[in-house]
Amino acid sequence: MIEVLIIVVIIAILIALGFGLMGLLKGGSQGSDKMFKSLVTRVALSVALFIFVIFSGYMGWIQPNAVVFDAPTIQAPIQK
Amino acid sequence: MSKEQAYYVPHGTYWPIIGSIGIATLFVGFANQMHGVEWGGSVMALGFAITVFMMFGWLGQVVNESVSGIYNSQVDRSFRWGMSWFIFSEVMFFAAFFGALFYARQLSVPWLGGADNNIYTPELWNGFKTGWDAIAFTTPGATLQSGVEMSVPTQLVNTWGLPALNTLLLLLSGVTLTFAHHALRAGHRHQIIGWLVATIALGSAFLGFQIMEYGHAYHDGLKLTSGIYGSTFYMLTGFHGFHVTVGVIMLTVILYRIQKGHFTADNHFGFEGVAWYWHFVDVVWLGLFIFVYWL
Repeated sequence: MIEVLIIVVIIAILIALGFGLMGLLKGGSQGSDKMFKSLVTRVALSVALFIFVIFSGYMGWIQPNAVVFDAPTIQAPIQK
Repeated sequence: MSKEQAYYVPHGTYWPIIGSIGIATLFVGFANQMHGVEWGGSVMALGFAITVFMMFGWLGQVVNESVSGIYNSQVDRSFRWGMSWFIFSEVMFFAAFFGALFYARQLSVPWLGGADNNIYTPELWNGFKTGWDAIAFTTPGATLQSGVEMSVPTQLVNTWGLPALNTLLLLLSGVTLTFAHHALRAGHRHQIIGWLVATIALGSAFLGFQIMEYGHAYHDGLKLTSGIYGSTFYMLTGFHGFHVTVGVIMLTVILYRIQKGHFTADNHFGFEGVAWYWHFVDVVWLGLFIFVYWL
């Protein structure tokens, strides 16, 4: 559930960034306004997401990928 | 900006051919360097120098033409279109790398371990287990059939350390850049310079810590030859780090141009292009941090 929420926010950030690009492409004062507002949205969402991810990790809702290797070693399709 | 409606056609120029010679020399040198040819490195350096010379000369000329006011709205539109195609190629690049990470981690590595219909994996290699840290299942010093020696790391990168700090630094640089953007639109030149310097400093700090992290990872044996994890890790973070380096250089050029008074509150495409690029690089890192280190 937490993962889904994180991915939804990432998609929202990408959409905000995309709107920013559309503003950049349009140009003029209207395009410039659109670009600036979209980028403010994307910065706000990104900071919020980072805080949420760190908080989720701290609470143990999600686990980091960094695992220390202690697995057995088996040599399969390789040659010595 | 010029009110002229006819398209601005530039005078004849040598820069494209100089650029072609520079890039060709760079790649000939690089290819030979990879094959261990003695002169490879020097030719590569020469090619790099010619390319940098071309960029200074050509882009400097474009800046001078822009400042002298000979560009009209058509040229402005062509710059914006050029930027959008460049961004399109960048998005495709990163989509391919993220796609590789997704495919390897979610599909091909589990299949090797017998997921889905590969029920014969245990029959073929009894006791073979796999996971995202599939590299752990290789004997240290073992050689692949291709003759490449695999490096087996003692541990993966710790998420809570430098990666989290670097994410914070890069996100903060996005915030400072937004303040610089706001100051530019409001016409406050001193504030723009302050916020831009802060952005460049944060970006440079990110690069410094990234080099430190590579040092740690390398010391622990995590290399490009460390199986699929090592390959995707260095490909994604390395390509991103290269983009941050380019971004820092571009922001420095923009800082110089702001000090020279090249931009106004309503005419600053150069700044907008670089700002958007930086936001893009920032978002890519956030994606990397979440997908490589967490999910």
